[in-house]
Amino acid sequence: MTTYALTLSDVSRAFSTVRALDGVSLALLPGEIAGLAGPAGAGKSTLLRIAAGLVAPDSGDARVGGIPIGTPAARRLAGYAPETPVFPPALTVREVLSYYARFHVAGAGRRTLVHHALELAGLAGAAHARAAGLGRADLQRLALAQAALGGRRVLLLDETLSGLDPVARRDLSGRLARLAATGVAVLLAARDLAALERVAARVLVLRGGRVVRAGPLAALLKERVLEVILDGPPPEPPPGFRLTAAGLEAPLAGRTVEAALALCHAHRLAVRASRVRVKSLEEIVLDAHDAAR
Amino acid sequence: MHFLRCVLAEWALVRPRLVRTRLGPWLVVTGAGLVWLGHRGTDPATVAIYAGAFGAVLGAAFGVGADADRAALVIALTHPSTPLAVACGRWLAAALPAAGLAVACTLGVGGTARIALGGIATAAAVAGCALPAVLALGTGAALVLGSCLTIAGAAPPEDLVGFAEPGLARVAAASVLELGPALWRYRAVAERGAGNVGAILHAAGWAALGVVLASGLVARRIRAR
Repeated sequence: MTTYALTLSDVSRAFSTVRALDGVSLALLPGEIAGLAGPAGAGKSTLLRIAAGLVAPDSGDARVGGIPIGTPAARRLAGYAPETPVFPPALTVREVLSYYARFHVAGAGRRTLVHHALELAGLAGAAHARAAGLGRADLQRLALAQAALGGRRVLLLDETLSGLDPVARRDLSGRLARLAATGVAVLLAARDLAALERVAARVLVLRGGRVVRAGPLAALLKERVLEVILDGPPPEPPPGFRLTAAGLEAPLAGRTVEAALALCHAHRLAVRASRVRVKSLEEIVLDAHDAAR
Repeated sequence: MHFLRCVLAEWALVRPRLVRTRLGPWLVVTGAGLVWLGHRGTDPATVAIYAGAFGAVLGAAFGVGADADRAALVIALTHPSTPLAVACGRWLAAALPAAGLAVACTLGVGGTARIALGGIATAAAVAGCALPAVLALGTGAALVLGSCLTIAGAAPPEDLVGFAEPGLARVAAASVLELGPALWRYRAVAERGAGNVGAILHAAGWAALGVVLASGLVARRIRAR
């Protein structure tokens, strides 16, 4: 029998009249990194907050390692990093982690836990910096360090990789991948889809509180697009094509490149060049968003 | 055991706050001012209970009054702690430095152990009242509470209800003064010691009520975000 690190079954949640989540189900395997994509208000943060036990679902069931969420036992297994992490401002990075570590262990074990968390997030050099004065990258590192504190098996990360410079993002992505390699399951919400493409093995696209598309990243990124560069803009694109700045483009779902180009020639379009590329995650998310309208 | 560890985790935040925020200087200035007043003729019991009250209000304001401190509670409760442990720890973090200030001020004006006990009872009760007020309304509530304690809390109700209109207003005023953590009540502890069971229970009641209310507010605050 498969033991899931995190399971959400038909979870729904409304805030007054707004339905933030509507019957979402999800099962996360140990060591898996899954990404949550979708526009603002899609329900990504609500889903993470429910999984972290901060928000109770109106209906449905949520469990971490088989334990119902919201209990201290579940909080030992799942760590959460909010989109805008706020830490006690008077404390240094080491003191912040030491404060949280007291909830997990007593005595000398606490120092080991803090040391491990500092190393894990790459914060050893900033251990004595005040939490209130940290830059965006170090703040997200601290959020990751406290979420992973105590050897937690599920990490719920809300925009932890968003808004970072490429070097910091690559570094944090690598750290997440290394954590996942040790069996830690990661559920990462990101509006920065390039970050998801870098780390996620599976992506769920949310819209209006529902999962409108889901699948392994490799399968999602299998879709190909034909880009056609034209000498001049056409009066009207052929069926299945859409206008771009340089000409036209069309998904190659179920047809060959030759057939698509033949359609262009049939419409008497002056094709200067063409190329085939893989559909980006952003396009997949936008397509899923438009199709769900 | 785990609950106590979570309470102590909150208490551990006190030292950095005393050293790195204005809490430490404010407590020193308050203590020095009260001791100075004591040497100018203010009686030691007044010095001790005001030290306990102002120390507790300052402790609550610097403990959970700032927006960042209240926002930081969200992450704390994703760890294996509970709102009750957080509230207990924050109450301790407000009450113990205030109690320490009351004892120091008592020693500074040459007061007795009984007077110090009055200051400690005041610190416990006022911390219980200030903590939920500051959690709900922010640092501004600490200023209002401190002013109320200074102006209205020091005199017994029978001296003050006369100012209220007869009828419902008088009953309300008397009830607030009778039930609230008014300083006149803890003066009785400073004068008669632990033998004044009613006043000690009153302080303990306010401490417990404050922790329970603060715990509810912490839980509600997390859910509301």
